[in-house]
Amino acid sequence: MSTTPLYRRLNRRETHSPLSGLAIVLAVLAILVLAYLGTEFVLRAFGFAPLLVAPQALAQAVVNAPAYPAWTLIAGGIVAAIIGLVLVIVAVTGARRARHTLTSERAATVIDNEVIASALARHAASAAHTSADNTSVSVSHRTAVVRVTPASGAAVDAAAVTAAVDEQLRSYDLKPSIRSRVIISTEGKVGA
Amino acid sequence: MNSTNRGANRAVILLAGLVLLAAGLSAAAVGALASVRDGYTEQAPGVVSSVTEALKATPLGGTGHSWLWLAAAALLLVLVILFVVFIFRQGGGHTRTLLSEKPTEHGRTVVDSAVAEQLLQESLATHPELVASHVSTYAVKGSSVLKVSVSCRRGVSPADARDLVEAQLLALDELLGSSIPALIQVSGGFRVRTAGATRLA
Repeated sequence: MSTTPLYRRLNRRETHSPLSGLAIVLAVLAILVLAYLGTEFVLRAFGFAPLLVAPQALAQAVVNAPAYPAWTLIAGGIVAAIIGLVLVIVAVTGARRARHTLTSERAATVIDNEVIASALARHAASAAHTSADNTSVSVSHRTAVVRVTPASGAAVDAAAVTAAVDEQLRSYDLKPSIRSRVIISTEGKVGA
Repeated sequence: MNSTNRGANRAVILLAGLVLLAAGLSAAAVGALASVRDGYTEQAPGVVSSVTEALKATPLGGTGHSWLWLAAAALLLVLVILFVVFIFRQGGGHTRTLLSEKPTEHGRTVVDSAVAEQLLQESLATHPELVASHVSTYAVKGSSVLKVSVSCRRGVSPADARDLVEAQLLALDELLGSSIPALIQVSGGFRVRTAGATRLA
């Protein structure tokens, strides 16, 4: 049974956000606006008093727009346009999650960046002969930044830390691959 | 993993964005550009009066009010229903059937998802590297897929976590006599941060 296309699909879906939260919020707002307008229309059709504004008054308010102070139109318009632009950008860009995929035979595998960082921190700490609490690692889409704070008076072998981190990254075989950057703090910490 | 229609989500966001962008830019143009403002002042009352004419031309029975109001309200109701359906279509996709073999002359074999879920969960629970594990089954493109999500202790190598879960999956394959596609998800989270660091090499 060939599962490769299925696994590719799973990996793609698990490393990207479905944007459900945003889409649901927008749908709820749309429902509220449409339901309000619908209610006013029905009230108007049977000649009842409007809830807030009669449809004619609403239309008249839109027609009167040029009579409003110009700066309110410009400011409101720009704010709305910026929100709209952000939504358009969100809709067409990746919406990537902070995850990587791992090559694997039996299953599609996705790993949180946080987990990669904590494993790298452990290996960097043992290569630097310091405690894991004095190494901090941040993993992003393409890079892992390893910061090591040495114990006061003890030198840290930056090359050894880099080698340990790179060796780990190689063994994980992540997609997309990650380059490492090791930063040894110039100031030590007592008792590290 | 779930059956959320991601294209629809993006379409809704894109539509909302375009509507806001268009409305915002036209409001700003009416405010800022004299020529646009003059054009708007000239055209807008005409549009309103032609709509009013249409409403007067379509009276509803004896009430004297237009039935166009009701038609518009019905249209809005349809849109509201579409959005509600859209919201409730999010997520989902779980299945309770793991395997369903073709019937033979002796009968038909159906394996419940619970079998694989409980077997995997039991065996993963015995591993000290994992803080928590959860197994669920989804129907993806017509086939059942196991989703094994595990949280590792701090410092556990992702490759080790994968190997550990894969070994369990291979054992399950052996037991079932067929291979179920699977997704392994290794995550961090609050329970991982509060749990102790690994003591493994």
